[in-house]
Amino acid sequence: MSDRKEPRGTVPTNRRNFLKAAGAGVGSAAVLAGLNGSATAASGEPIPIGCPAPLTGIVAADGIEFRRGLELAAEEINELGGILGRPVELHFVDTESKGDDVVIQAAQRLVDRQNVHALITGYNLETGTALFDVVADASIIAMHANTVAIHDETVKSEPDRLWGTFQIDPPEIFYGVGFLDFVKDIEAKGQFERPNNKIAIITGPGTYSVNIANAMRDNAANYGLEVSLYETVKVPISEWGPTLAKLRADPPAIIAVTHFYPQDQAQFMLQFANDPTNSLVYMQYGASLAAFRDVAGEATEGVVYATVIGALQDEIGKAFSKKYIARYGANSSPNSGGQTYQALHSYAVAAALAGGSGAPYEEEQNKAVANRLKNLIYRGPMGTYRCVPDTLSAYCYPSQTNDPSLGMPHIFSQVQDHKSDGVLIAPVPYDVASFKTPGWMKS
Amino acid sequence: MDVFIQIIATGATLGAMYALASVGLALIWGTLGMFNMAHGLFMTIGAYGSYSAVAYLGLPVYIGLPAGFVVGGLTGCITHLLIVKFMVGTRNFGTNIMVATAGVAIVLEDLILKGFGAYPFRQPVSLTGGFRVGNVVVTYQSLVIVAVAAALIAMTAFLLLKTKLGRAIRATAMNLDAARLMGVRTERTYLQVLAIAGALAGAAGVLISSLATLSPQMGGDPMLKAFVICVVAGLGHVGGTGLAAVSLGLIEAAVQYFLGVRFGFPVMLGLVILFLVWRPNGLFGKKVVVRL
Repeated sequence: MSDRKEPRGTVPTNRRNFLKAAGAGVGSAAVLAGLNGSATAASGEPIPIGCPAPLTGIVAADGIEFRRGLELAAEEINELGGILGRPVELHFVDTESKGDDVVIQAAQRLVDRQNVHALITGYNLETGTALFDVVADASIIAMHANTVAIHDETVKSEPDRLWGTFQIDPPEIFYGVGFLDFVKDIEAKGQFERPNNKIAIITGPGTYSVNIANAMRDNAANYGLEVSLYETVKVPISEWGPTLAKLRADPPAIIAVTHFYPQDQAQFMLQFANDPTNSLVYMQYGASLAAFRDVAGEATEGVVYATVIGALQDEIGKAFSKKYIARYGANSSPNSGGQTYQALHSYAVAAALAGGSGAPYEEEQNKAVANRLKNLIYRGPMGTYRCVPDTLSAYCYPSQTNDPSLGMPHIFSQVQDHKSDGVLIAPVPYDVASFKTPGWMKS
Repeated sequence: MDVFIQIIATGATLGAMYALASVGLALIWGTLGMFNMAHGLFMTIGAYGSYSAVAYLGLPVYIGLPAGFVVGGLTGCITHLLIVKFMVGTRNFGTNIMVATAGVAIVLEDLILKGFGAYPFRQPVSLTGGFRVGNVVVTYQSLVIVAVAAALIAMTAFLLLKTKLGRAIRATAMNLDAARLMGVRTERTYLQVLAIAGALAGAAGVLISSLATLSPQMGGDPMLKAFVICVVAGLGHVGGTGLAAVSLGLIEAAVQYFLGVRFGFPVMLGLVILFLVWRPNGLFGKKVVVRL
């Protein structure tokens, strides 16, 4: 038995707590537990972590999960002894699904009032650059899943100043061509036969959706596809009548909806189901949330969706999802909550390896944490986080690396039963099922 | 022909929802000279009331719409009894009541957020499926929306034009002092107007959420459109508001089809600006506010 005194405010590390916290992946939990076990923390003062997230508004379905993911991770980390004996303490500010101005204010408030050592969130409806100045000025760490190329470009433009902002998943630029490759792959396997060579692309006005749509449009010809409709919709949108009328007038083989709000996608499917065209329907990200299936029910069965940061359906991913759903209910979304869950766990390991986290303006210590994050290979329920050194975004598998253990997988899933999460159908080795022809195409 | 049918179907659905959302707003303006900034929240509360009746209380789906109607009406009554009653007739009422109702909206939105969270629930009071007109599928839900909106607006018109209550409301709207001298209990009339407007907004909320989802912020966008429609019609003109709503719904649907979905609302706003340059007091408005 150890005679080491536990620091104030921490929970003792023991075998039971270690096993309870194994949802993060036993290996990474072991790393943190090992580091904590040998730590002699100067104080047990909590480490404040801030989360500016869209807890209300149009993308609140995600924001709620970001909060849950962080809470679950913090609980597990604290059961393992926190970060070198200091428990993690979470602070949330609602960004109301609004843009840069609100996100910047929220982040600044977390720095000024809570002295947060790091900002960890999923995405906000901002341009992808809102956190940079706040984080750089305070010399802290930020981790987000905005999934935008502008992050990479901005970091590359000022690497000496923007060393602390990390994108925990790959940028959106891989989605467009990745989807076309996916279609080619299921055609090659004989799982899908296109009735014609037309693709209809429907996007929202945001940079994320537009970049994905443009990549599809610009590369469609290379895959023998002709863009029959390129429609930009105002969001939020609930009445899809005019768009569906155009699709029905000239039915395409593929309908790709890159506008990503789950409730808007659900309405599309409800209205599409009334008179479906013989088309494969692909939906960007939003369909990965339980809210999509909850709203549209059976009409969602057959939809294909993709994300570069979703819960895998392997041993680690399933253990996490099971724990998450048991905790938050059947309508919760591990695909979304796992983003912040994995981010906080990886931050905890990096901070522990660096000898502790740094408060605002403790540049040297936070740079040490940033360097650990930059060199970390962290395997969690969403896949492997490994950072591209000059962009501070995650590598994408299979677009940037052909080694699945060295990149965040660009996963494709299909809703095959609306009562449960979609099944992962690509890429190898994470796939657990094959693409099935949707019911509306069979008829 | 199919295109024409599709535009009519979409435009009528949008127009019906806009009309129901706008009529209550116009009624309050016409009677009290009050711009109700909480009108969007009346819609939201109606939608959640309907949802709660079905999802939590287990009442049949067909009770959902009346439940939203009643909850919206009660919200209107409470707003009157707690706030409007004490402010009406005071100096700068028009400005102060806007600020007060904006505050009410914020409080109500927060209460809904606390009570239900921000999860986008599906409105259970909705129908699936549809029927064909030519090659176009018209959904049963669209049909219900148009029918319910038409029925409620017709009932409102009947109430205003053919009943004693309607006469009292019209008298109060035309000349408050004269109405009082003629024995109209104007304070009760105000309460009744808020109740009717709240009930119409509650029903609008149920219909709107049946095509979208429930969220604490769901009333914001419809209220903006309702305000635009009221301005086009001439603030306070109930009949004109219904006509303007349907017309703008059809124009929006046509623009969405021919020019693209993203141009629907901007073109609608552009037309409104041009229209107001031509008729600054709106389609049916006159320099002195004319009501009903």
